[in-house]
Formats: sequence, C-alpha cells, structure tokens
Amino acid sequence: MSEVDMAVIKPEMMKSYIWLQTADGSIQQVEQEVAMFCPMICHEVIQKGMGSSKNYAISLPQRVNPAMLSLILDYCRFHQVPGRSNKERKSFDEKFIRMDTKRLCELTSAADSLQLKPLVDLTSRALARIIEGKSPEEIREIFHLPDDLTEEEKLEPLKNTTDDPRIRLLNRLYAKKRKELKERQKLKNIEVEEERVDDRSVDDLLSFINGDNGDSKGIKNSKSKKKNRRRKDQQKNTSANEAIKNHNKEPNGLNQVCHSAEVGQKVRAGVGATSNLHDVKDDIFDNKNELDDGDIDDEIDPALKEKIDREVEDFARRLNSDWPERMQEILSFGHERKPVHFSLNGNGSLRRYANSEQR
Amino acid sequence: MQKEMAYSFPDEVLKHVFSFIQSDKDRNAVSLVCKSWYEIERWCRRKVFIGNCYAVSPRMVIRRFPEVRSIELKGKPHFADFNLVPDGWGGYVLQWIAEMAGAYPWLGEIRLKRMVVTDESLELIAKSFKNFKVLVLFSCEGFSTDGLAAIAASCKNLRELDLRESEVDDLSGHWLAQFPETCTSLVSLNISCLGSDEVSFSALERLVDRCPNLRSLQLNRAVTLDKIANILRRAPQLVDFGTGNYAAELQPDVFSNLAGAFSSCKELKSLSGFWDVVPAYLPALYSICPRLTSLNLSYATIQSPDLIKLVSHCPRLQRLLFLIQVLDYVEDSGLEELASSCKDLQELRVFPSDPFGVEPNVSLTEQGLVAVSLGCPKLQSVLYFCRRMSNAALVTIAQNCPNLTRFRLCIIEPKTPDYLTLEPLDAGFGAIVEHCKDLRRLSLSGLLTDHVFEYIGTYGKKLEMLSVAFAGDSDLGLHHVLSGCESLRKLEIRDCPFGDKALLANAAKLETMRSLWMSSCAVSFGACKLLGQKMPKLNVEVIDETEPPDSRPESYPVDKLYIYRSVAGPRFDMPPFVWSMDEAVKILH
Repeated sequence: MSEVDMAVIKPEMMKSYIWLQTADGSIQQVEQEVAMFCPMICHEVIQKGMGSSKNYAISLPQRVNPAMLSLILDYCRFHQVPGRSNKERKSFDEKFIRMDTKRLCELTSAADSLQLKPLVDLTSRALARIIEGKSPEEIREIFHLPDDLTEEEKLEPLKNTTDDPRIRLLNRLYAKKRKELKERQKLKNIEVEEERVDDRSVDDLLSFINGDNGDSKGIKNSKSKKKNRRRKDQQKNTSANEAIKNHNKEPNGLNQVCHSAEVGQKVRAGVGATSNLHDVKDDIFDNKNELDDGDIDDEIDPALKEKIDREVEDFARRLNSDWPERMQEILSFGHERKPVHFSLNGNGSLRRYANSEQR
Repeated sequence: MQKEMAYSFPDEVLKHVFSFIQSDKDRNAVSLVCKSWYEIERWCRRKVFIGNCYAVSPRMVIRRFPEVRSIELKGKPHFADFNLVPDGWGGYVLQWIAEMAGAYPWLGEIRLKRMVVTDESLELIAKSFKNFKVLVLFSCEGFSTDGLAAIAASCKNLRELDLRESEVDDLSGHWLAQFPETCTSLVSLNISCLGSDEVSFSALERLVDRCPNLRSLQLNRAVTLDKIANILRRAPQLVDFGTGNYAAELQPDVFSNLAGAFSSCKELKSLSGFWDVVPAYLPALYSICPRLTSLNLSYATIQSPDLIKLVSHCPRLQRLLFLIQVLDYVEDSGLEELASSCKDLQELRVFPSDPFGVEPNVSLTEQGLVAVSLGCPKLQSVLYFCRRMSNAALVTIAQNCPNLTRFRLCIIEPKTPDYLTLEPLDAGFGAIVEHCKDLRRLSLSGLLTDHVFEYIGTYGKKLEMLSVAFAGDSDLGLHHVLSGCESLRKLEIRDCPFGDKALLANAAKLETMRSLWMSSCAVSFGACKLLGQKMPKLNVEVIDETEPPDSRPESYPVDKLYIYRSVAGPRFDMPPFVWSMDEAVKILH
C-alpha cells in the first residue's frame, strides 16, 4: 500500500470501539471517545478492563434501555468534541431536551445511572421547569402518581366546606335562596335590560338579608377616622387621631350598630340576647327559618343537634381530666420565654387537644 | 385509556430535580403530590416561609422540615402599621429561636416582619448558629443596641444585617464597634431606623473599609452630609445607598467633595434617605442619576421644582417613592414631568406630608396619577395618597395600565365621592379590577357601595390582598368578596357595615385564606363564638381593650376581630385584651 492509501485507511483502523450490553441482552459497539464520556463506562474500562470485545461487553445498568442509550450517545457524541463554543453547546442542549415527559424521566434516570452529571443536570432542570407553576393535581397527572396523602398529612386546608353540617346547611340555604330569587325575577321581567335585572337581584338579595325590609342602604358613618401610612415623625399626629376616635365612640359601642346598615339591627334581633352557646346556635337557624317562610325541609334534624351537643360535652369532660398534664407542658415552655398571661377572662393558654376531629 | 404506571425515580434523582425548584409555592405543590414526594421534599427543604407565625408551631415546622437553613416569619397583621393593633398583642419570636437553636444548628438566615424581637432572642441567635449569615428585621420592635452588639460580636460570617423600619432602643452607638476586625463578609447593612446621635462613625468607617463586598448600605439620620463622602470613597462598589441627613450649609468644598464621591461609585443604582434635604446639594447626585433605577425620597421634604429637576436627570428610573409637599403650586406638574422622562417606571409611591391638615392646599390631584399612567406603560405598582378622585380618572388609569399588580389608592378623607359627579367610586374601581387581570393587591378608598364589591368578586380572580375602609352598605358586600375572590389570602376591613351573615355563610372560605381582620364593623360576639366553635382549623380572636366581650350581650358587635387559619390551635401568648373563641378554651370556664 502506498503512503496515501495508508493515510486514508489509518484513522478507520485506529478507531477503537467499546462494547456495551443493555439489560435486554442486545450488544452494540460504540466509538471509544463517545462511550468514555460516561463516567460509569470509563470506570468499567479503566478499572476492570471491560468492553474491549463482544464477549466482555460492559453490562449497562437496567435503567439504560437501547432507546435511552441511543439518546445518551447522541449527547456524548456532540459534547465530547472539544472545539465547540458554549453557545453551540447550549443550542444543542435546548433542542436535545425537547421530548415528551415520559422519555425525559427515563433519560434522567438513565443518565444518573451512568453518572453523566451534565446530562442529569440538563434533564433535571427540564423536569423542574415542567413541575413549576403547576398544582399538585396537575403534577400527579403528568407523572402518573397516586393521590395517597391523607387530609391530615396535607397542611393545606380543605377547599370545600367543613364537616360541620350546620355551616354546610347555611351555605346551601343561602345558595338556594339566591337561585329562587333569580328565577322569580326572570319570570317577572323577561324583556328588561340585563343591567336592570342585575340591580334588582342585588336589591332582592339585600332585602333577603335584611328580612324583606326593602331598601336597606345604611346611614353613612361620618366619623373622621383616617387610614394613613404610619410615619415615625407623624406618630404624634396619629395618637391625636386615635384620641378623637375614642372620644367619638360611645362606651357601649351602640352607636356602631345604629349607624351601620339595618343589617346590624336585624342581626342583633335574630341572634338573640342570651349568652348561652347552645341558644346562639339555635337562634341563627331560627332566623333563617323565618326568612324561609317556615320551610320544614330546612330545619336542622333535632337528633343531629343532640349528637353534636353531646360530643361537645364529652370533649369538655376529656379536656378537664387532662388538665394537669396540659399544665405541665405549658409550664415547661415557660422558662424560655416571656411570662404567659393567664387571662382571667376565660381564654386561658391551652394547647388544643390533639385529636380535635373527635367532636 | 389504561392508566400508565408511574415512572419511578431513585430518590436521589428526584431530590436533584427538586433542587431546581425554589419558590415556596412550587415547593408546597411538590410536597402535596403524593406520599413519596412529600417525604423526599421535606428532607431537602432548605427554606421555609411562614406568613403567619401563629399558623403553625415551631415544633411542627421542625418535625416536618429537619434540614432548614433559612426561615422567614411574619407576625402582626398589616393593620398594625396603622396603630390598630394594640401593644402587647403578640408576635414574639423567642420561642421560635429557642426551638430552632436546638433543631437547626446550621440555620443561616432569619427574616422577620412585624415581630417582637427581644435582646434575649438576639443573644440566643448569636450563640446558637455558627453559620449565621442573614438577619432581616423588617418593622420589628422590642430590642436594643445591646442585642445588636451580641449579633455583631458573634456572627463571624455575617453577610446581611437589615433593620429597616424597626424600632430599636438606642442605648449606645458602640455596638458597631463589636464587629471584630476579622469580619469582612458584610454585603448589606441597613441601620436607617436607628435614632441615636451617637452612631460610632469611626467604627462604621472601619467596618465599611474592611468589607470589600459591601453592596448595600443605608445610614441613619444621625450621619451628617459631610461624612457621606468619606463613606462613599471607602465603598465605591456600592449598588444601593441610603444617605443620612442631607442638610448642611452650602460650602463649595463640601459640595465638590460630595459630588466627586458620588461620581466614583460606578455601580450605584439605588438611593434613599435624604432626611432634611437641602436642595442645593441635590446636584451632587447628577452624575449618577442617569444610572439610577430606584429613588426613595419618602423622607425627603423635597419640593416640586427640585423634584422635577432631579427626576429629569433619571431616565432609567424604575422605582420612585416620594413625599408630596402640600404647597401652593400644582404638584401634578412634577408627576407630568416624571411621566415624560421616566418611561421605565414600574413602581410609584406618593405619600402625604400632612394627611391631617384640615385645609388642603390642593397640590396633588388625580391628574398626576393619570399622567403617569399615560406616560409610563410599564407601571405595575401604585401607592397614591390624594384628596380627590373621579371615576373617569380611574377608568383611564385602568385602561392605560392593564399590567398593574398592586393598586393602593388612599383618598385621605373617608367616603369622598367622585368630585365631578358626586357619585360613588364603584365604577372606577370596577374598571381597575376588570382591566387589570393580574391585580394581586388592592386598597380601596372614597365613597363605595356594595357594587364595588360585586365588581371585585366578579373580576378580582387573582386578587390576594384587599384592604377596605369605610365602604359598603351591607353584608352583601363582604359576601361578594368572600365568595368571588378565588385567590384571596388576606382581607383587612375597618369601619364597614359588615355583620354576621356574610361571615358565617362563607366560613369555609376563611380556611383557604391566611387571615381576616375586621375592626369597627358589625360582627357580633355570638357569631365570633359560633365561628370559633365550629371551625377547628381557624383561630378566632376578639380584641377588646375596654372590657371582656362576654360582659355584654352576645348580639353586641366586637371591637376588633382577627381570624386566621392555624394547625397549631389557639396560641399561648395572648394578652388580657385578646380573647380566643376556641371552643375548648371557652368550655373550661
């Protein structure tokens, strides 16, 4: 062979290959410089002398299937070339990473098992971008993950109504009434402009709240309180303002109720004058019942009411029996901080009983 | 379609993915996906933000997130800034510090807002966290320069010490000298709130000298103008600078020294301070004005012509906070000038110098804000005090600035109607919520009926914080907001005729929010008790400084009401004037 021929043939002959075997059994040979870009393969070759022939093919981790291997080798083939600029590399990466989420997950996992850190970073960042801005439900959808957290484990509060039947009932009543009113209006005024219909519904709703007392726009409160940004050099002015406020306010707070909308009046009447917790609950519902024209379906089930009251009493008894233990806990905090105000008024410092669901 | 098998990652891989997810919202979402993600996420959470220090206990946080390095806590409700929250209400940080001292030896960053911080807390921080780097006390109180001395002395790698707007008991300026000579790590120092006349200036100079990475420095009022040049020459790398006192007799050598010092700061982009500003010294700033992106003149009693001149030198201004002086000539002209020269403006705050003045020299009107809305298309955040407004102006502003995210309008006199039509300002604010689809924060003022709340409930889908005063006619107003604003987190209301019905009907909504404040409204004690009894995940607190609420009939309205969601139950540290409506607490007595 002539020198020229040798020059042409030489690179081909000098190229060495690494033999790799994926978990499915298939074996392939890969250019050495490309394969050696993966630390795991590099380690196998250098430390264990593997990969030089088909019989001694390097067994790749299970997470690297042929499709993933192909992708990874594409990545390595590009990046192992030393001359490339950062811009070129970045551009390649951006195009390379465009694939569906499932493949991205597989690729991340595969790259991790081959210890190919730059690719792990690239794919991880891409996954992070997919996750960002999404709700937990959306994320679950994308990654096919189970919804297996219990409500207790989630610190996020419930979006729906509480378990309490009274609050749920109240919400339902309110929604039902509004719907009824809207329906009534629609029937009465078919040809009226939309804007006017809306106004009427609002007024109707207002009257519903006020117990059909007609226009209930309250008397304007003309106190001269001001909302202002607190400034260090204006503290004296602020305290003067506060003084004015206290002067205007009557000691029993009645003027607030009088000056507010008639809603205030209605609420006071409806809720009733007793201080018994039991009665307060009943009164609110009695009021609702009046407004509903005594609709029997909306009355709270007396048996249910009984049950709730009993639970409340049980709770109180349990709490009382645990009191000495609770005190111990509270006092053990005490030496570390400011003195706790044990109020005389019934709001003593008490840690919530752990299992508050038992009501 | 058959359900695909979940693709399983090794934990390490998932952890690595999570390391690229840093925002609190995203971390929270990740932790709620499923059991395995919850577990992995909690071990690699490094930063926790707690918007209400009573929503959770330190113990619970520590139990869930064992490897936290950075924590941010907020205490008192926002209305504390308006003196509506009595002293002693709460917000003590000591218990948090005490528990974290044991659990997080590597805690490096503590950021607090509206909390009570004692010297004991500061001393505990100083001795417990060997790698402590960042301390931000925003609008806090309860500590003195002794506590600061402990921090300075012990925190070898302190990077950030920021005391903005805090109330500090200034016992001595020598705390600054407690920074050891070996401390060279400071990047940010904000002592603008300190009052003392004895700031150890020499200690400050030496500190600035040996901290080559110092980027942000805010001096306090005690530092005189002639000293600024010395400081700036020692720190030409500063990006953000707050002057002290900016007043002195005009002396040519002082002026040229100052101008030279400013011009040597090639990185300077943000200025503040300027107490007692003497206009003659403002031109010393002209060399850096073209680079300025942020200018805070809210303490500077600067007059309109001087403001106009200064601002016209700052074409790149993005953020401008200033105090409007009530003067004879129209201040709107200053804003018009701003609108024509600062096209990049994103945030504007205009404060009143004399909000309690009975006779306003009408110098700033809605026209100024309209001009800015027209000239500055990037406007996102507005805080504007004025004495008159019209629906037409608000509609114009809304149409000009659809990118507004924060809009806080304070018409100084409550219940002021549209000055042109004498109608309520419902339509104007309605236009704001309708056009500004990304609006996150809104403060209302002026004469407003229930209609404005209907607009807010209908359009304010991204609204997170709403402040209301002297507005509305009935419970329907409150109902519109609670039932319509899906993203609502904080609602603060004062002096509005809102009573029990809307609150009780929307009780469940309160669990989806951080907090609700209502003062001088019409919510009865009975309703408060009912809420407290029936909503175990809410803390319902009644504040009354005059007498216990149960000494009056249940139908009486409470003075102040603060409701917040919590997984920690009622708090231990309530003062005598705060009553918890928690059922367990009540039943015991």
